[in-house]
Amino acid sequence: MFRAEGLCKSFGALEVARGISLHLPRGARHAIVGPNGSGKTTLFNLLSGELSPDAGRVFIDGRDVTDLPPDARARAGLTRSFQKNNLFPGLTVRESLAVAMAIGVGLGTVFWRRFARAGDTYRGAAAIAERIRLTPYLETIVDTLPYGTQRQLEIGLALAIEPKILLLDEPTAGMSAEETAEMAKLIADLPDELALLVIEHDMEIVFDFAQRITVLDYGRVLAEGTPAEIRASPEVRRRYLGEAAR
Amino acid sequence: MNAIPISQRRIVGLALLAAALAAWYFSGYAGQDRLGEIAIAAIFAMSLDLMVGYGGMVSLGHALFFGLGAYALAGLTLFLKWPAAAALPAAVLLTGIVALVIGRLIVHLGGVFFIMVTLAFGQMGWAWFARDRIFGGIGGLSGVPQLDLAAFGADLANPGDFALLAVAVATVVYLLLARLIDSPFGAVVSALHRNANRARALGCPVQRYKLAVFTVAAMLAALAGTLQTQRTGFVSPDLLVWTSSGEVLIMVIIGGLGSLLGPIAGAALWTLLHHYLSAVTPYWMAIMGSFFVAIVLFAGEGLYGALARLTRRLRHV
Amino acid sequence: MPDPASLVIQLLNGLQYAMLLFLLSVGLSVVFGLMNFINLAHGTVYMLGAFLGLTLVRATGSFWGALALAPLFAAAIGALFYAVLLRRVQGESAMKQVLVTFGLIFIGIDVVRMIWGDYEEAIAAPALLADSVRIWGQLYPSYRLFVIALGLLVAIVLWLGLERTRLGAVVRAGVDDRVMAASLGINIEAAFFGVFCLGCWLAGLAGVVAAPVLQIYPGMDVAILIPTLIVVVVGGPGSLKGALLGSLLIGMAETFGAVLLPEFASFMIYAVMVLVLLLRPGGLLPARPAA
Repeated sequence: MFRAEGLCKSFGALEVARGISLHLPRGARHAIVGPNGSGKTTLFNLLSGELSPDAGRVFIDGRDVTDLPPDARARAGLTRSFQKNNLFPGLTVRESLAVAMAIGVGLGTVFWRRFARAGDTYRGAAAIAERIRLTPYLETIVDTLPYGTQRQLEIGLALAIEPKILLLDEPTAGMSAEETAEMAKLIADLPDELALLVIEHDMEIVFDFAQRITVLDYGRVLAEGTPAEIRASPEVRRRYLGEAAR
Repeated sequence: MNAIPISQRRIVGLALLAAALAAWYFSGYAGQDRLGEIAIAAIFAMSLDLMVGYGGMVSLGHALFFGLGAYALAGLTLFLKWPAAAALPAAVLLTGIVALVIGRLIVHLGGVFFIMVTLAFGQMGWAWFARDRIFGGIGGLSGVPQLDLAAFGADLANPGDFALLAVAVATVVYLLLARLIDSPFGAVVSALHRNANRARALGCPVQRYKLAVFTVAAMLAALAGTLQTQRTGFVSPDLLVWTSSGEVLIMVIIGGLGSLLGPIAGAALWTLLHHYLSAVTPYWMAIMGSFFVAIVLFAGEGLYGALARLTRRLRHV
Repeated sequence: MPDPASLVIQLLNGLQYAMLLFLLSVGLSVVFGLMNFINLAHGTVYMLGAFLGLTLVRATGSFWGALALAPLFAAAIGALFYAVLLRRVQGESAMKQVLVTFGLIFIGIDVVRMIWGDYEEAIAAPALLADSVRIWGQLYPSYRLFVIALGLLVAIVLWLGLERTRLGAVVRAGVDDRVMAASLGINIEAAFFGVFCLGCWLAGLAGVVAAPVLQIYPGMDVAILIPTLIVVVVGGPGSLKGALLGSLLIGMAETFGAVLLPEFASFMIYAVMVLVLLLRPGGLLPARPAA
């Protein structure tokens, strides 16, 4: 349902993506791992449309979306969260989720009714907040939230548009052990039909949720397979896994 | 999405309206004429606040649309002999079309680029009308007919009647804009102002929304322009000159960017200040410029921001 | 169809105007590329340069003296503005800085009116260049040739400075990626300040140089600001080549427009701007090409 073929991208002499291919079926639980600088976030930017590939194509449900900008891809069912919190400053949690929902259902064309009463967005926002365990913070302005909570909202915004494909960029970045555990539970609770692609450094989380893992190294795919296959791969062990695999 | 709570908006809005009506009641002709001028400036300022305060697009050429509305009305009534009542909405619509074309070219530009280009377009408009011969060139045209409101027992040649009309229109414009901002459309615009990147990643066609805001703001500026012709019966390139664009931006910033009500007060304050200053000194621009610089540097949130801070402090007393 | 002689004359006129625009736009463009900030009062500095030049010529009788001193004054005024006003809003949005410079335009015009009055003035070309040269059978003022030569000289010196000096390398790095350059420990602040003052110096120079060919009057600041801004938009921000190309295009468009389509003279430059916005919104030769 989601496919990337032979994605290549260079910035001048620097090749950041060298023929990366990827396939996500419905309900996929797929992780992208690799050392810093291996091109993980660049890959996400190519998949979500923030970057245009020099070569290669991206398909959503068989439809070629390579030339579509990020908002068109989001409307086609693909969205992402970001490595650095990318929230709406000055809005409350409820307002943020509500406006994300509104964008998702195309409510923005309504200009004559009050937002609070139009559609179910304000109530729907509360529902999503519950799923991402942010109910106590509904009326809090996002700027004042603790970092880990902001991270949860970061994912909540993406969930609000009910995507078919979700890309999570290092969801546990900068989190404490408890916050990480919370995030792991959140990820485990995500809808079954959702195709999930996660960039992660925390190998415990990866081996916990992932059914397939892609290891990137200097912009190309070093290995791809089930967690067991990856653990067993001598190349991967040598270059990347270290302690966490044993 | 409006950051200001409804109760506070209602109080301030009603206070402003009451002040306007009191001014109307207690003033002579000169005062009522001034009130009409302020009401037009308020509409002009609110339209710019929509573009700058909510849409995040800082324009230094907004007077282009003000002037286009005025010239369009003048052209339709003086040359095509349309009745003013038909020409007014047509002028607003025509300006909207021009705004759509220009906006399509420029709304995707980043902040500083956008400001440069709007300044250029504004001056282009001024240069056009300053040179053209149909509309009287730099001298302008007079004799623009007024709306016939005899059916309502009103005569727009009477400053009192005009002022009442202008205040009424300003009130309606405010209510419409407030509803627009409170609507889902307004919420999305607010979101893309705060983080366009994220809005886009969520599926929002950001440029389309910015274009919509740009066009609506332009049409409201045109409405203010048409009212200006009704007040003075006169059009000239001065309506489009860069200082006009600058003054309306100053009104918005003094009033309080993004508050919609603030710019109304800013328009009143600035109009009165401008008249006073230009009467006492030929160097009113230096004073205006200094005032503007001071506000931007030290009181970025304007009158409304000061009011909000004051009420917050009072609430804690 | 105009004969070749007048064509050459118009070409030279266009080139001369282009060089003037270049002197003004290169500073503005590089500052924009470096700091994402446009000094809308750049035209004001140009105007001050012209009026200061006028006073100096009247006081000393020497055009060359004015040409040497006025730009220094202009740079000093720029440095003052930077230190006192612009640095206050440095941390905040670039938009606030731009708005501050917009307020300065209003102040600048009245300051000029207060000091020099509301009249249109002129400076005569210096005695050395007061004559004309024969080009293709036509007489052409040598002063205008001087302007062209000066502009080209400045372009070459700036290019060498950018490519060959350390400051130039710092500037190029800063335009390319400001955050990266700053994190490399390069004193980007000092580079900003230096480039800004240089831009003001060039604007002051342009003011004096332009005085014998254009009119000096309060309001000349906005009159030259618009074409300058269009040059930055058309040429692409941050690059010297862009400023040069943009200046040539706009200079020629304005000059030939006035000759070929006098009805629409002022609009040629806007037409060029609209065309570039349509086809290459980032400008023709920006320092950072769109991804």
